[in-house]
Amino acid sequence: MVDSKQETISQQTPTTVVEKKTTAEPKKQPYFYHLDQIPLSQDRARMFLESFAVILRHTNYRPVLDIYARNMAHCARCATTCPVYQATEDPRDIPCYRSQQIVDIYKRYFTLGGWLRAKILGDDPLTNQKVDEIAESLYRCTACRRCSIECPMGLDHGLITHFGRYVLSEAGIAPKGLVVSVREQLEGKTRNTSAVPLPALVDTLQFLEEDFESMKNAKVRFPMDVSGAEYIFFTPVSDYLMEAETLMGIAGVLTAGGVSWTIGTRVYDAINYGLFYNDWVLDRVENEIIGEARRLKAKNILIGECGHASRASKFFIPTFNRGKPIPVVNIIELTYSLLQAGKLDLDPNVVTEKVTYHDPCNLARTGWIIDQPRAILRSFVKDFVEMTPNGRENYCCGGGGGTVSLDEIHKFRMEVGGRTKMEQIRATGAQIVVAPCANCKKQLRELMKYHKLPVEVVGLHDLILRAIRMPNASADQSDGANASESSLVEFSRSQ
Amino acid sequence: MEELLDFLKGPLLPFVFMIFLLGLVRQVVLSTWALIEASRKAGDTNIPYGRVLRNIATWVFPVAHLHRSLPVFSYASFFFHVGVVMSAIFLREHIDLFGHLGLNWPSIPRPYVDWLALLALIGLTVLLGYRIYVRQSRAVSSFADYAILVLLILTVGMGYLAGQSWNVIPYNVTMVFHIAAGSAILVLIPFTKLAHCLLYPFVRLSSEIGWHFTRDAGYDVVKTLYGPEGRKI
Repeated sequence: MVDSKQETISQQTPTTVVEKKTTAEPKKQPYFYHLDQIPLSQDRARMFLESFAVILRHTNYRPVLDIYARNMAHCARCATTCPVYQATEDPRDIPCYRSQQIVDIYKRYFTLGGWLRAKILGDDPLTNQKVDEIAESLYRCTACRRCSIECPMGLDHGLITHFGRYVLSEAGIAPKGLVVSVREQLEGKTRNTSAVPLPALVDTLQFLEEDFESMKNAKVRFPMDVSGAEYIFFTPVSDYLMEAETLMGIAGVLTAGGVSWTIGTRVYDAINYGLFYNDWVLDRVENEIIGEARRLKAKNILIGECGHASRASKFFIPTFNRGKPIPVVNIIELTYSLLQAGKLDLDPNVVTEKVTYHDPCNLARTGWIIDQPRAILRSFVKDFVEMTPNGRENYCCGGGGGTVSLDEIHKFRMEVGGRTKMEQIRATGAQIVVAPCANCKKQLRELMKYHKLPVEVVGLHDLILRAIRMPNASADQSDGANASESSLVEFSRSQ
Repeated sequence: MEELLDFLKGPLLPFVFMIFLLGLVRQVVLSTWALIEASRKAGDTNIPYGRVLRNIATWVFPVAHLHRSLPVFSYASFFFHVGVVMSAIFLREHIDLFGHLGLNWPSIPRPYVDWLALLALIGLTVLLGYRIYVRQSRAVSSFADYAILVLLILTVGMGYLAGQSWNVIPYNVTMVFHIAAGSAILVLIPFTKLAHCLLYPFVRLSSEIGWHFTRDAGYDVVKTLYGPEGRKI
């Protein structure tokens, strides 16, 4: 490791960013989290504690840490629920062990008892090496929160992972892959994580409209910047690059259902990596989304097929919204209600393959979206099979917590994080796995390829697209928001 | 030995109960206050108390969960908890300790308490075995985890032995160990993980409230750490 001398915090002196550039990177860890501005500061332990202290002062984490510190029973039941531990059997992957590292630092540095104990019994100060170990430990976790289901005490290790990553990130330690994307989203020109410029988006949507027409012999539109729509649609911007069928399926459903909707032209990315590593980012991204919804006077925020973006908006817009409340709806909920209302006609003879469903952790862990996608699938899929376990107890795809965006840990995701999921899918014998989440889809596709499983990974609306029978041409004129026929053409001209 | 027993049962016991009670009250007050503060600071104050309470109730009698992960450990833990709580609270001799305060409540007849104590002992032995022999359990165990188990085994084991006619250890000796270890447990409750005997509901509540972040806290953190100019992403 970097600190061969096991420096203590008091021995370290603050150093500037530039001075760190020459520090040799250790080769031991499979991947690193250090930002380019503050590469591997020699002061990581001090910065970590400073960040810890300031976050405790301004946030709600202190009572959690305090109560956890007094009650952790160390029963290790969580180990049996964690897919990462199941694959590695490495003690540092036990959720309780991971959380204990953070709780120990809290007790030692931020409680009177810990301070007294250090004075009386001697000290084991936080070192840079320990901070590195914590960083690695916290990013080996996929933040799927499966462990929280079986903790008899009710500890939420996902919350501690979230807090620990937040502390690390304010101390300058965060995965580069996430930070670079967020920088473009919040400080870049394109205001989205994949740097998709608006003209490219408009071109893509035009192409999708044409493609849909040739596929289904019916028109759909992707209405842009329509004011006063019932729903403003945000999806991971990567969908516009890679998930054409998901988007066409969604457009088909919304058109068939006569839904009034629009896509904003200033902010069109639902991705919020803040959920994975930083509350400040979480707040800012959600407020970008809220701002766009207000600008277009939309009544509801509609999130596409994405687990983390849906959870970030559903559960944190009420937290960070500084104005009138705006309801958040996931596209699966809306599609389900349209199906229930008899507005969707799905051909039951199109999808004949054996299909299974993967629950994205961020949709299913709290019991939010579990039955709706199954009801949709069962309405038109002939051979639907469940994987075990499923629903609230599903296993993570292995790319949760932002790790899917880190290409440098591809092997870890394939052989450790995603191993249990791969075995689950294999056991179903399914030919198609439905995963209504951009992150899950990316991870599962890589997983199927890596383990040579002949399984197609699709989104829920990809399958709906195959089965949907569109109403006649006159009906599709009702696609809401009173969008003008030439909304996309107008944008094309203005670019 | 008799003097020691008299000391443990006499002047020490009220002192032990005082630390136990005051310590727990302090814990409950601090935790309640901290959670009230946190729920006030939350940006979204719509906290699903009903769901949390249902969860708490489910896990007080977690019969539906026991077989789901580490079943042997889980059943042992459940039977230990039932045995130790019931035998501690409903043994006639324990109730009589509070007689001079005018307190009294129904007791469970001795033979049944003996079975409960045996249940607790078996549970404790399995728990200790798990800590020692099962890798994942050993990995997360600290010295305190073992020490508490040993103290509990001493307390329950000696208490059980004291009531048996076949006990070959002198009665006073078993009682000294029983009361000394029991007193240690009572004193340790407010300062160790044993506090969960009363704080348990606060853990689930804090897990829920913890996700209810504070509005603007992210900005405040950045300003405090990096100055009014803030920082770039």
